[in-house]
Amino acid sequence: MTDIIQILILGLALGGVIALMGSGLALVFGVMRIVNLAHPSLIIAGAYIAYWGAKLTGIDPIVMLPVAAAIMAGIGVLMYRLVFEREARNAKYSEMTVLLTFALAMIVEGVLGGLFTNTQRVTSPGYATDAFFLGDLFIPKGQLYAGLISLVIIGALSLFLKYSRLGYAIRATTQNREAAELLGVNVNLISVLAFAIGIGLAGAAGSLVSFVFSFFPAKHWEWIAMLMSVVVLGGMGSILGTVVAALLLSVIAAFVGTWVGATWSTMTFFLALFVILLIRPQGLFGEKPEMA
Amino acid sequence: MSELLQVTNITAGYGDGPAILDGAHLTVEPGKVHCIIGPNGAGKSTLLKAICGMLTIRKGDVVFKGKRLNGLRPDQILRAGICFVPQERALFPKMTVRENLRMGGFVLDDQRELERRIGEILERFPILKERADQQAGTMSGGQQQTLAMARTLIIKPDIVMLDEPSLGLAPKVVQEMFDIMKMMSAEGVTVLLVEQNALIGLKNSDWGVVLDLGRTLFEGPASTVLSDPRIQELYLGGKKAA
Amino acid sequence: MSVSLQQSSASAVLEARRAHNDKLARKADQARAVWFPLTLLALLSLLPLLQLSGNYNYVLHIVLFTASYVAMASSWNILGGFTGYVSLGHAVFFAIGGYFSGMILARFGISTIVTAPVAGLVAAIAGYLIGRITLNVRGPSFIISSIALLMIARILFDNWAFIGGANGVTLPVNSLSAQWAKVPYYYAMLAIAAVTVWVSYRIKHSKFGLGLRAISKDEVKAESAGIDTRFYKVLAFALSAFFVGMTGAVWGEYLTYLRPNIFLIILVSANLVLMCILGGKGTIAGPVIGAILIVALNELFVATMGASELNILGTGLVMALGLIFFPLGLVGTLARRGKLPRVLNWD
Repeated sequence: MTDIIQILILGLALGGVIALMGSGLALVFGVMRIVNLAHPSLIIAGAYIAYWGAKLTGIDPIVMLPVAAAIMAGIGVLMYRLVFEREARNAKYSEMTVLLTFALAMIVEGVLGGLFTNTQRVTSPGYATDAFFLGDLFIPKGQLYAGLISLVIIGALSLFLKYSRLGYAIRATTQNREAAELLGVNVNLISVLAFAIGIGLAGAAGSLVSFVFSFFPAKHWEWIAMLMSVVVLGGMGSILGTVVAALLLSVIAAFVGTWVGATWSTMTFFLALFVILLIRPQGLFGEKPEMA
Repeated sequence: MSELLQVTNITAGYGDGPAILDGAHLTVEPGKVHCIIGPNGAGKSTLLKAICGMLTIRKGDVVFKGKRLNGLRPDQILRAGICFVPQERALFPKMTVRENLRMGGFVLDDQRELERRIGEILERFPILKERADQQAGTMSGGQQQTLAMARTLIIKPDIVMLDEPSLGLAPKVVQEMFDIMKMMSAEGVTVLLVEQNALIGLKNSDWGVVLDLGRTLFEGPASTVLSDPRIQELYLGGKKAA
Repeated sequence: MSVSLQQSSASAVLEARRAHNDKLARKADQARAVWFPLTLLALLSLLPLLQLSGNYNYVLHIVLFTASYVAMASSWNILGGFTGYVSLGHAVFFAIGGYFSGMILARFGISTIVTAPVAGLVAAIAGYLIGRITLNVRGPSFIISSIALLMIARILFDNWAFIGGANGVTLPVNSLSAQWAKVPYYYAMLAIAAVTVWVSYRIKHSKFGLGLRAISKDEVKAESAGIDTRFYKVLAFALSAFFVGMTGAVWGEYLTYLRPNIFLIILVSANLVLMCILGGKGTIAGPVIGAILIVALNELFVATMGASELNILGTGLVMALGLIFFPLGLVGTLARRGKLPRVLNWD
């Protein structure tokens, strides 16, 4: 029984981080219908910011979080302006943007690889290797902090979306872009904003990831399918759904990892994606056909 | 003749695609219900989209209260007083009725005034008041269309344009929608609607416009349009052409 | 207000129709240059004679390498270009073909050139089964499912002890002298590439190909027009896996080892997509041109910059720029402008 609770705790803590990693992806898809395959590579970029912050100045990666988020949000604005804005009227928009983000993922990976080599990195603040002990249970501090901070950020994001005027505009654009535009929402501005927030979330997630997982530039390919399964299971575009799916799948993955073997725990996410595809063959990205 | 909105000879289409509208014109007079009819693909919806700024007008003029609207963004046109309700899903399905109404007044800066107007609308439409905190997507088709029309009134527009408000609704509900439109026009809001069901549309309107192949074939009082034999034959499902 | 029907645009419509018909007629008149690929093929099949006069192994390697990508990109094109289903998981079929024939070579000493068609068949069966599941979704969902497929396959291959796990398998080297060692693979790859291009041509001009293109234009309409879209798509997927599998088989022996981190990487898949996009998705010459361009660029990058990080950066950059500025690819863009040189019109 203790074992089960222990695995549950580890799964939930990790799930919190994965939820934050996926939330930016969900937001960007929700508002702009962009499946951002570059998202995980941008998380890794955020992780490098935290890594070098810690290495060069000794700043704690958690303190670096706002910095990483701000830098990545800026990069998000740049990406949107340079690449996605001009595609807005493309008839093959959704297919095109997937391929473009795929290309961007390679560019980010290449730049990071060229700058920082393919060595595995991890930031190691004191708490990353420490743990709380509750009787027989232990809770690794690093994962706990990362998970909690993730949930706090997602909570703040949800409140922002629910109650602020901008939040209204973002939600309205997500649910019905045309109607939002007709009611006076500047959907282009909202798109830039949502994209910047989404990529900023990647930066924030990156600085937490930097002490939870070891990372290197090519690592993002492993994450894309993992995050997609979370976002797809969460109902594409729903932040709350993404959180629930992330917690659920990481708990399952934690059990699989303990009872079946560590290599198979990531398989949980990939297989989940396949199973969802089997169960909901009409397509998970909304009702209208994407390739028309 | 005092026209509120004058569309002259406009050409428009989607992106770089072919011109869907090619020589359409339209005169909208204040306080009346105007109904645009025509077969599928005639450019009816395109005309509304061109007026409200969703499409670039390639040629021709749209003049509203003596001011040219060409090239303005949808939000600028909305602020000028023309509100457009697109076909079918005009609502934000996962927002509540109240949130939808709040979005209706997105361009208003005075939040207190906005809340006051939302209160007014809810008083006028009891069905919406009952469901104020229900998600819009969970309501019936007629209730959703009611909300979409009520939402336009928040900003007190001069013209409300409706793209097929009767789509997918039961005949009895369709009549309710037209009653709301008549009420709106009685209050001085000019209504311009596109209607697939030409007969019902014209019967409930003051003014009829026949559009085909992207150009206006005919404009006139709804009763005249209804009784014109050629229009009956071609567009009202009368005697088939030989 | 008087009632007057305005003159309808009947004459304008007729005129437009006539112009359209004329344009079609002009297009058909432009004879396709089938002689060009055939001549190219004939010249390339004489190329190994160079070995009589010296060591041109590098030249043979480059042509062989290009041919392998011509085969795979043209094969990918059957699904991605004709049908519009972009797969980023085709490296899986490359690995299946490579490992199937490679393991037979390692165990029984039968050359992969002999078993390549069987390897293709195995890849096609895998493609059929996978397609039955993943082709139920389209657009971005499909693309993501194909990435997931690649990740699943990678974990399986990395952990399957029988095929050497992550360390892979070393394959026996053939007994030919260094001068002639490449030649059998050279001809095998050239043949596979030629057959793939020919098959994709035949498909494009068949009723089947018409169905595939209808699916890419509007699947719902294609279905209501009586096309068994599900069967068509799955068959296209299987066919497109077939030639990639064959290529993988020969490539494994040529390389003399099998390893997941060579065969099962997203860069292989990405290259196929990139080649088709750059050359022109859905055209016959497009993937060929794309493969030649990308291999040339690759050699240039490696020669000038060396590092593999820059390689992936270059691939990404070329892909992004190509997508933004030439979404129809070289052949597609030229054809749209009516400036396609006849030597590149193989359709």
